[in-house]
Amino acid sequence: MKRMIPLLIAAMAGYVLVASRFIPLAEKWGEVEAIWFDVLAAIAFVLGGGSLLKLHLRRISDRATGWGYSAITLAAFLATLYVGVAKTGARPSQEQEFYGQSFAVLKLEDLPESLTYRVTGRIPERADDEPLPLSVQRQLSQSGGDLVFHGWISGQQQGELLRFKEDLAWQCAVEKLVATAQPPAAFKGKVTYLADYSRLSFRGFMTDADHEALLKLGKNEAYVAAVEVLWKASRAESEVLVEWLPPGFSIPAARRASLSYDEGKHKLRIRGPMSVALRDELAGDHFPLVRPTTAEQRAAFLNELESHGGKLSEVQAHALDAVLANGWPVDGLRLVLDEAGHALPAEKSACDLYQEQQAAKGVAAATPKPTPPKVEPDVKLNDRQKAAIDEFVRESTGTVDDLAARLMAAGPFTARQEASLREFFAKVPTVGDQKLEACIAILRVGPLPRDQRNFLRDDYRHQNQWRQTVGDLFVRAHKVKYPWSGQYNSPGSWFGWAYEYIFKPCTATMFALLAFYVASAAFRAFRAKNFEALLLLGTAFIILLSQTFAGYWLTSWLPSDPQTNALAWLRMENLKILIMRVFATAGTRAIMIGIALGLASTSIKIMLGQDRSYVGRD
Amino acid sequence: MRFNWDNIDRRWIFLMMLITVAGPIIWQLAFPEIPTPYARAVFDAIEDLKPGDKVLVAFDYDPASEAELGPMATDFVHHCCEKKVKMYFVSLWPVGPVMVQDAIRNIIEADYPQMVYGQDYVNLGYKSGYEGVIKVIVTDLRSLYPTDTRGNSIDQLPMCRDVKNIQSMKLIVDVSAGYAGAKEWVQYAAVPYADKMKLVSGSTGVQSPQLFPYLPDQMAGLLGGIKGAAEYEMLVNERYSGPTPAPKYQEALRRMGPQLFAHLLMIGLIIAGNVIYFTQRRREGRSR
Repeated sequence: MKRMIPLLIAAMAGYVLVASRFIPLAEKWGEVEAIWFDVLAAIAFVLGGGSLLKLHLRRISDRATGWGYSAITLAAFLATLYVGVAKTGARPSQEQEFYGQSFAVLKLEDLPESLTYRVTGRIPERADDEPLPLSVQRQLSQSGGDLVFHGWISGQQQGELLRFKEDLAWQCAVEKLVATAQPPAAFKGKVTYLADYSRLSFRGFMTDADHEALLKLGKNEAYVAAVEVLWKASRAESEVLVEWLPPGFSIPAARRASLSYDEGKHKLRIRGPMSVALRDELAGDHFPLVRPTTAEQRAAFLNELESHGGKLSEVQAHALDAVLANGWPVDGLRLVLDEAGHALPAEKSACDLYQEQQAAKGVAAATPKPTPPKVEPDVKLNDRQKAAIDEFVRESTGTVDDLAARLMAAGPFTARQEASLREFFAKVPTVGDQKLEACIAILRVGPLPRDQRNFLRDDYRHQNQWRQTVGDLFVRAHKVKYPWSGQYNSPGSWFGWAYEYIFKPCTATMFALLAFYVASAAFRAFRAKNFEALLLLGTAFIILLSQTFAGYWLTSWLPSDPQTNALAWLRMENLKILIMRVFATAGTRAIMIGIALGLASTSIKIMLGQDRSYVGRD
Repeated sequence: MRFNWDNIDRRWIFLMMLITVAGPIIWQLAFPEIPTPYARAVFDAIEDLKPGDKVLVAFDYDPASEAELGPMATDFVHHCCEKKVKMYFVSLWPVGPVMVQDAIRNIIEADYPQMVYGQDYVNLGYKSGYEGVIKVIVTDLRSLYPTDTRGNSIDQLPMCRDVKNIQSMKLIVDVSAGYAGAKEWVQYAAVPYADKMKLVSGSTGVQSPQLFPYLPDQMAGLLGGIKGAAEYEMLVNERYSGPTPAPKYQEALRRMGPQLFAHLLMIGLIIAGNVIYFTQRRREGRSR
């Protein structure tokens, strides 16, 4: 029995693979078998680990020759196993941390009844029998002629449902479901339910009004408990000591409920978690952005720099000027905003298209025709808005928010234009960045006294210091949700460290040692003792030389095209190709055909149970 | 007493090899390369791709062969980034994903920050099963790769949504150090689906002779060892890197310096060994 089962498994696996190769209907069997191989391989890894432990423990216990190496092997094995499985030092995965959100456990079945939404529709069947996307399987069901969804539908779920089937009736039903299965308007974008994680989530700081409104959505114990957990988590206070505050810093009005600055103790405080967007807003909005400069402004800057030390050389002054002149073009900004002002062609919804389709078929003659979508007019910058941009360029302190407000006040300014404006300035460096770049550019072409270096670097230092402060607060305000979600081998983890600084150099060293041993062996053993050895030696010389520039150099005087001149075959690179294509290929093919025949015959013997050597002896 | 050269202490040979290899590394000696038709075929196969084409990039090697295969892996990724193709990284070797991660960090994230993970490239990682993995993913990628190495469901990655199997790849690029590697990709992917995808490979110098029988029908091109990598690197740099390529894009060319001198030393040692051998044989003949 002990031998029979492995023999049967091997034979069956062989038959299945043969069938999957030659019978199209059985093609899937081979895939299933390969997946089973993975399961077996996992078991084999465990067995292998056990076997390694047993073998080396016995060698240590017996004090066999070289038992010290066994001890090292065991220690390395156990240490690697531990740091790999425990993911020691690995940071949590960024995708799983949901920065800026607080979580509370809430099972899907504990969601209040008021969060169950229904629309008329039917889950379609796909020709390939593909089930509903995994992300909605637990939340979406069919009840009579209705689609029933538990919880709020996310953008990702919406996308996956729409892609599930290219059918207008289905896509119209999904559109209706998405419109219905949403949190109340007051919570839009704040509260979500993550069915995959069985978590209720709240974004940012929860106000008293939010708290009360959330409690009104359901009365069951689990839900109320979850809301209370969120209430607590989203108001937890974190603070950080501020060593340097940007001049004119003030908390934005919209953030005053959660953010505060204690001027006496120099502490920045936040209640609840900090989102990435808030972090970036806090870290970046207080530093002036680079503006296009005139030749006079650049000359004035050069004078100011020189007033902090000696005169710059001509090359240095030129390098500085090149950096300062590398600003953004005003016309470019105007063009971007005008481009963003073009009205997009209005898109019809799936329901509109479905109605049109039905009307065309005459199925729903009574159905009113969908109203054609409203087409917005194009919006271009007017003269006042252009003047506002020019004014922004002239002054050195205004922020992007200021510019956006001025543009809105000066004329029509769409949301797309505002988004384009912010996207444009997101790529513009700050004055601190530019001065540091100038410092590096000048140092590349000559020395710079300490005072001048400090003048050019101080803004960047302060900027960096403030960003670190905000980053520190961001980390303190965040509660790690899934500490094991990171990759075991991510940079900074113990496993990653062991891989980078022990495994990698050791294996590379082992491979590199080959060069030394081959050199020694070549000296001692590569002798032209007979004709065959002489042939081998000649071939080796050609291959060794042709693998380097020396081969090319030695025969570069010969014609190069073998198609037009037979002598070209004597060039080293062509000789190498000849040897590889003709002699090496012929030999390799012979060996491969031999191996293939041997494999086929051995496989047949295994499948028929004639060859049992691989299961060992009884 | 006459010195017996035949029994010279091997450590002298080791020392000679050390000096020979160290010299060109210290002085950064590099030599021009003349691309062979095989390297040019690899270059052309990638050059023929259009932006947005799907390319499966398999890194089937480990740190032991990193010195030889690392530069060509860098050049493959560099070339694919320049061609704006979509890269699907996989590995049949357990430490392959770390190699992929290095390439992503050093090339894509450093020099092509506009490329977005999940839209332009994805690291699907390692799966055990050697050629069994290829056998499955040629017909069903999702059953073996439901997630990428970061744990994202591949349904959530835009570039994976319409990929049912690797038959939708225009090209397979394999960097191979042995089993499982280029030979298996030929046998289980390139040959059965020859009308759908092409294969190019870069392999160690030792493995290359085993792959030559597949050229040019089953395999469009082959880079053999660091020499092949240097030829390909030169072609890529000539087209895309301008007059002064970044040092990381000249690694293969830089490693040809030590290779030249090491090979010359080997030839010298073989000649010296034979001279000593024949001298001794003649001496022995005379003494008889």
